[in-house]
Amino acid sequence: MTRSFIAKNPSVLWFLLALSVFSIAVTLLSEATGTGLISTSFVKTLGKTLCLCLIAIAMDVVWGYCGILSLGHFAFFGLGGYAIGMWLMYARTELIVVESLANAALPPTDKEVVDAIASQIFGVVGASEFPLIWSFAHSLTLQLAMVVLVPGLLALVFGWLAFRSRVTGVYLSILTQAMTLALSLYLFQNDSGLRGNNGLSGLQNIPGLDAVPQSVISIAFFWASAVALGVGYVLFAWVVSGKMGSVIRAIRDNESRVRFLGYHVESYKLFVFTLTAIVAAIAGALYYPQAGIINPAEIAPIASIYLAVWVAIGGRGRLYGAVIGAAFVSLLSSWFTGGSAPAVNLGFYTINWTDWWLVLLGVSFVAVTLFFPKGIGGLFDLIVLKPVADRQGDYGPDKGAWRKEEGEP
Amino acid sequence: MTKKTKFAALAAAAIVASAGTASAQDCPIKVGVLHSLSGSMAISETTLKDVMLMLVEQQNAKGGLLGCQLEAVVVDPASDWPLFAEKARELLTVNEVDVIFGNWTSVSRKSVLPVIEELNGLLFYPVQYEGEESSRNVFYTGAAPNQQAIPATDYFLEELGVEKFALLGTDYVYPRTTNNILESYLISKGIAKEDIFVNYTPFGHSDWATIVADVVALGADGKQVGVISTINGDANIGFYKELAAAGVSAEDIPVVAFSVGEEELSGLDTSELVGHLAAWNYFMSADTPANAEFITAWKAFAGEDRVTNDPMEAHYIGFNMWVNAVTAAETTDVDTVRSAMYGQEFPNLTGGTAVMLPNHHLAKPVLIGEIRADGQFDIITQTPEVEGDAWTDYLPESAVLTSDWKELGCGMYNTETKTCVQLTSNY
Amino acid sequence: MIFRLVCVAFAICLGLSAARAQAPATPLQDVLQQNADAVANPSRGTVDSLIAALLESDLDGVPVFLERWRDRAVYQRVSDGLFFFGTATDGGFDLTDVDTGADAGRATSTEVSELRPNAGVRRVIGGALVAFQLLDNDPARRVAALDAIARSPSDDQLGPLRRSIEDEPDPALKDRKIRLERLLAARYAESEAERITAIESLRGDLGVDARAVLNLILTSSPAVFATMPTDRNIAAVLTPGSDDLSEEAAYDQLVSADLAPPLTGVEPIKAALIAAIDGGQVAGIPVASLTTDDARESAYEALAAAGAVPPLVTLEDQAASLATHSFVLLYAEPNKAITDAARETLDAIGMQVARNQAADLALDGLSLASIYFLAAIGLAITFGVMGVINMAHGEFIMMGAYTGYVVQLFIPDYTLSLIVALPLAFAVTFGAGVAMERLVIRWLYHRPLETLLATFGISIALQQLAKNIFGTQARPLTSPAWLSGNLTFNEVVSISMIRVAIFVLALMFLGLLIYILKRTRLGLEVRAVTQNPGMAASMGINPDRINMLTFGLGSGIAGIAGVAIGLYAKVTSEMGSEYIVQSFMTVVVGGVGNVWGTLAGATLIGFLQKGIEFFNPSNTLAAQTFMILFIILFIQFRPKGIVALKGRAAGD
Repeated sequence: MTRSFIAKNPSVLWFLLALSVFSIAVTLLSEATGTGLISTSFVKTLGKTLCLCLIAIAMDVVWGYCGILSLGHFAFFGLGGYAIGMWLMYARTELIVVESLANAALPPTDKEVVDAIASQIFGVVGASEFPLIWSFAHSLTLQLAMVVLVPGLLALVFGWLAFRSRVTGVYLSILTQAMTLALSLYLFQNDSGLRGNNGLSGLQNIPGLDAVPQSVISIAFFWASAVALGVGYVLFAWVVSGKMGSVIRAIRDNESRVRFLGYHVESYKLFVFTLTAIVAAIAGALYYPQAGIINPAEIAPIASIYLAVWVAIGGRGRLYGAVIGAAFVSLLSSWFTGGSAPAVNLGFYTINWTDWWLVLLGVSFVAVTLFFPKGIGGLFDLIVLKPVADRQGDYGPDKGAWRKEEGEP
Repeated sequence: MTKKTKFAALAAAAIVASAGTASAQDCPIKVGVLHSLSGSMAISETTLKDVMLMLVEQQNAKGGLLGCQLEAVVVDPASDWPLFAEKARELLTVNEVDVIFGNWTSVSRKSVLPVIEELNGLLFYPVQYEGEESSRNVFYTGAAPNQQAIPATDYFLEELGVEKFALLGTDYVYPRTTNNILESYLISKGIAKEDIFVNYTPFGHSDWATIVADVVALGADGKQVGVISTINGDANIGFYKELAAAGVSAEDIPVVAFSVGEEELSGLDTSELVGHLAAWNYFMSADTPANAEFITAWKAFAGEDRVTNDPMEAHYIGFNMWVNAVTAAETTDVDTVRSAMYGQEFPNLTGGTAVMLPNHHLAKPVLIGEIRADGQFDIITQTPEVEGDAWTDYLPESAVLTSDWKELGCGMYNTETKTCVQLTSNY
Repeated sequence: MIFRLVCVAFAICLGLSAARAQAPATPLQDVLQQNADAVANPSRGTVDSLIAALLESDLDGVPVFLERWRDRAVYQRVSDGLFFFGTATDGGFDLTDVDTGADAGRATSTEVSELRPNAGVRRVIGGALVAFQLLDNDPARRVAALDAIARSPSDDQLGPLRRSIEDEPDPALKDRKIRLERLLAARYAESEAERITAIESLRGDLGVDARAVLNLILTSSPAVFATMPTDRNIAAVLTPGSDDLSEEAAYDQLVSADLAPPLTGVEPIKAALIAAIDGGQVAGIPVASLTTDDARESAYEALAAAGAVPPLVTLEDQAASLATHSFVLLYAEPNKAITDAARETLDAIGMQVARNQAADLALDGLSLASIYFLAAIGLAITFGVMGVINMAHGEFIMMGAYTGYVVQLFIPDYTLSLIVALPLAFAVTFGAGVAMERLVIRWLYHRPLETLLATFGISIALQQLAKNIFGTQARPLTSPAWLSGNLTFNEVVSISMIRVAIFVLALMFLGLLIYILKRTRLGLEVRAVTQNPGMAASMGINPDRINMLTFGLGSGIAGIAGVAIGLYAKVTSEMGSEYIVQSFMTVVVGGVGNVWGTLAGATLIGFLQKGIEFFNPSNTLAAQTFMILFIILFIQFRPKGIVALKGRAAGD
């Protein structure tokens, strides 16, 4: 351990620098704190993109470094959003209810207040009582703990069960996908107590901050997301460097050998799986107050597959690759679907990007897997020549192992 | 002169000309269209976008509004609910539109509500919905439950003598709330709770055999069974196919649907479904000169094989009322236009006159139609205009609430305590 | 304006009366005109008096008119309000006179309006026609009459029905008449013995209508007595607090029968306190302190003590009142012998129905399993045997379904189009599968995770492509008539033909695949290549070709499955994605590498889902959620699936 963490990971410094420059630039150009060149809605988009970058690096650690292709990390993202959303809805409604009950002839009992909040929140879905899972919704502290605890516990239990019985590779992917599907189907039900298909809405209105304009709130959340991304990046860079990082990567390339060497593979995998799930949940908790609404469609299996797509396009196995992939694809996607991309007139047919964007994305994804396994991040290798171990043949027999092409400088 | 400079010159001329005539009004007047053009809702909503473009074009051909041309600003929220909020903010702050026509589904509306209310925008929502909401900034031109569900249930009770009800719905908010309202309405009409069978299925459900068998078995106690369907979209196809296969005729077990219109029926062979019912405020088969004219204009604009449906009529009425209100107010300022909207009248396509009420709902007639073999509907009954009710009278929590933005200035007014519960809407 | 209207009305009256004077007698038209509004805008409320008037007139044309009216062949002329029979012929209507049947000229759709009696009115008309139709020469009319009796039975039908049985020539109709007679007799026959015989003859009848009759005889209503009556036909004695009768419901009965005062709940207390607020105080207690239910209750008691409000009625009072009353269900039918017979018969039928319902549920489960199997069987080859994760499998199903739709556009005959569509769908998806294998998948063998993502890319591209070509709206794919009915075993157990066809198709594919894999050279080579491509190649097998063919076969079968699934459900661009996760789970649960495993997986999932649905019938979504949870747990404990391969074949 002679060289410091930073010296071994110069990309961390570069990344933090770029992130700060970007954040300051956005702040200076925003409506609330700068020239107003960037509209509030775009600040929100950028803030949300930072959250997506955060979950993308989590995904990169679990897939690109540890070789577990999890198709369920958006479930944790969504759970984080739901956890914070419950408090936001409860607290906002409580203010309204207390104010309106203050005018009543008799001062309200506590039960009346809670009942009124419940019928406000659940009136939309035809119920009027709080289900059990809302027990902590009145407290921000408890609910913030839920942001971490609920997804963390789910990941821990699920991962323990799955890794213990040595479910690996594609099976694990399908299993994680089944988990998201089950969760989103469960949340789709009205009986789940989280307002079914409607989900939780109005999350952009922060309780008690009615007087603060959205332009300021959006910048605040943008900064919170940027800080979270920065901290997350450093955390994960630390996790994947050093001895632990080596073990994690070894598990990716050949799990059995690592096991034979005496490492408890399951614990490492479980640690990575749970940690990334928690980070994903935090990203979700920052994302949904900016998006304004969370509902079960957000955690449908397809969302998690897109997450894998971002990481693959950005280049797996390098944290900045995941960030670039997530930012690039999600912003490009909203540009194309937003109708602002110019239509291409071929004479006999006009390509309308709202119709053809998904085709383009699908095809380009096949192209990336086939021809550019290093993704966009691979472009950096053209600039920085990294010394790479001289390895013979493919990188490992395991399903999630790197390919030879990915390892070449 | 190249095309581009020619265009610039023309634009300049137009600006000069309009600057001469227009008063305080900024030209052009912008109309935001917030309908999904991609994703799962695209098929329904693209049609509404086209209707809006047609209406704007027609209005411009009539000389525009307040001496200005109208300009439609179309964005695509891609059936993604959070994106609805984002695009609404963009329309109001970046494009600075004067009014928005858009949304389909409650969840998209709930997503947009906080933004519209924060920025004091104006939204026209054209689809039937579950009620239990009233926003200062939204005009609901689709049917509230008492303009669709309740009259259809009355028809079941009075005309068909149904004594036992199966409420089948897709598991989301509109069916849930509507069925809740219907359940307490039916109980108030003397139907026992055991005689109401409720079932929820996921979006796109296709395995209907057991549910249809359950519904048939409901007849075992000798009561006339009727099905009230709030099944959404594609799932209807499997449901009706299974009904037809099981030989359930409309004479034995009638089905009335609230989400099945001319568009949905184009996905299946309706010859086995003749006689089943749908309740709407508009059917394409309505026999009036106004409707004939609308259909002709629509087919000329969008294509010969296109059909018209209920939400299109809602936009037609909403847009024309807004135009009249702006003309009366001589400005597009949201609050002034809002006051001018109350009491606006405009002829329905099915006959009679729609009136905008102070609770931001319309008074419209309710139509019940029987499915024909050609995928259209035979209109069986048409009620006089029914006033839309934001808060249903059949749920205890809502019965005490009323909405009156004109006199009370409140959308959620508790008539018992005589207080306004909240000024923003409940989202 | 009004003057003009009056003039017009006057003129019409004149014209009418003038026409009457000259024209031949039109008695039916006259009766109709007297009830013009009821004829033109029929409603269940008005139709009874109209039919009574028509029957009273005793005119020959009445049955024909009622029939035509029911069948929407009666039109009202807008100009004079007269009614005509009409038939729609290209763009107009040929009218005939209701009395004479004479030609009354043509009219356009604006000149006449079609009368549309609703289903309720039609049922009443059908009931009125029964007496005329039971002995009609046309069997269709007799069927209509029997349908009408079945839909709305009444006591006056029993006589005519009995009289018509003797002369019924058609044996099937005769059987039906005899059965209907039993049903009517059970309810309406004169003597007790006759009714009991009829009731007992229903034993073993599984029909919904038979149970309906018995249940109607057994109709009961709740009642409450201070002392138990002896002269009433009591169905059951209920204890408050049991499952049949909650304490609240029982007390509500007492309150509504004025046998007890209503419970003083939270809301009444609140209302009473608000009413008694006096200068910021209630009964001397400051209002601001009334923030708990206990404080409010004691304030109310203080008010009650002062005599300002009725005394508090608590849960103890409720229990006391309940204890002193008897709650019973009373039969509407006073004769105990009849209700006993009906109860006994119904219980016997109930047992039988329950058994049959279990059989029906099993049949549904079997059908669902065969649908899952059909959707997954292609995957059983590509994923199960070859180990290729094909996320675009669902899109192959969709392509097959759209092929069926396109074929139907060109070949209107449904049977023929189906015969063409099945091989064509196979060909199309076989081609697509081979192309995909050649272009993408073969570069990614041994890289299953990358295959997963690449094929997912293909999947979203194909889905969007289908949307661009066919639109997002569902497309019709109609099954031929011989596939659109029901296979009925008895009144309870039945299944739609299309599901039977899917079951047969699934069996056929199972047999075919087993045969190909186990008995043909191709199968041998496939198994060899899957186990050890290098060794297989040394033996002279071309692994490339085998992989290509196997993948094509799996995709082709998915295409045929698509046609079947499209026929039974719907054809949309998203139909494939609904089956993909399910299909993978079917294969994984069953055990990879084995077609029998897929069968076992599909059977398990199908029956399991139906079983869960049975316990929670009002929420299908919950059933799906629990099923997936079960699968997740199942895989944890049996990662290799139900049918696990052993030894070298297991790979790894």
